[in-house]
Amino acid sequence: MNRRALLDSGVLFTGVIGGIASGLFGIGGGVIMVPILGLLLGFSQHRAQGTSLVALIPPTGILAVLGYGKAGYVSWQTGLLLIPGVFLGGIAGGALAKRIPAAKMRRIFAALMFLLGGYQIYNAFRG
Amino acid sequence: MTIILVLALGVFAGVMVGLLGIGGGIVLVPAMVHVLHMDQHLAQGTSLFILLPPIGLGALRQYWRAGNVDLRAGILCAVGMILGAYIGGKIAVPMSTQWLKALFGGFLMFSAVLLWNKAQPVVVAALPREERGA
Repeated sequence: MNRRALLDSGVLFTGVIGGIASGLFGIGGGVIMVPILGLLLGFSQHRAQGTSLVALIPPTGILAVLGYGKAGYVSWQTGLLLIPGVFLGGIAGGALAKRIPAAKMRRIFAALMFLLGGYQIYNAFRG
Repeated sequence: MTIILVLALGVFAGVMVGLLGIGGGIVLVPAMVHVLHMDQHLAQGTSLFILLPPIGLGALRQYWRAGNVDLRAGILCAVGMILGAYIGGKIAVPMSTQWLKALFGGFLMFSAVLLWNKAQPVVVAALPREERGA
């Protein structure tokens, strides 16, 4: 196999892993794909992020949504109500990021996420 | 009242996404579970639905301008993702709520570590050319 084909199959595999995380956790998948592209396939951080954004443009989660929907696990109304806020909030957040120290904010948010994750595990097995 | 709460939650999640450069799902799922008291499965399914529209288009434009997009790799990733997301959904749907909640908790902690390490500004245009990658 030549180098190009090897890289392409690596990228395709990255997509599959990101997709599994997406369907399994209800997320976009960039969280998983960016580190794999960077660490395993040698993409620079910015190029990895830009490339993962391309992968998030098509509705790649459609089959997963249908699967969840069939089991009654999609609240269409809540989803529709959340979409405009997420969109407008995203623009506001992007503008805000230029004015405040985002790196510090990330650390604070990361710490909160870590605690919340631990709480979820504790909470799941408590009862 | 609930409608106002949901709308406000959407704005909050969006601000976090734009501000921190993180995915929407990682904010939306815990918010729906802990603020709206939705079931873990329902929150994840709803989050996947919210993520269907191309909300990253604006951000992509910025990266594109700076030459930080590998289009071929992005398309290949997308193809892989369609398949992967189908598999992920197939795994998650029949799981018990308890296990899914715990698994998501572990994933949240893992993502927190990634985010902590990544805590640096992402102003692409301000970087010198050679640091923007191949």
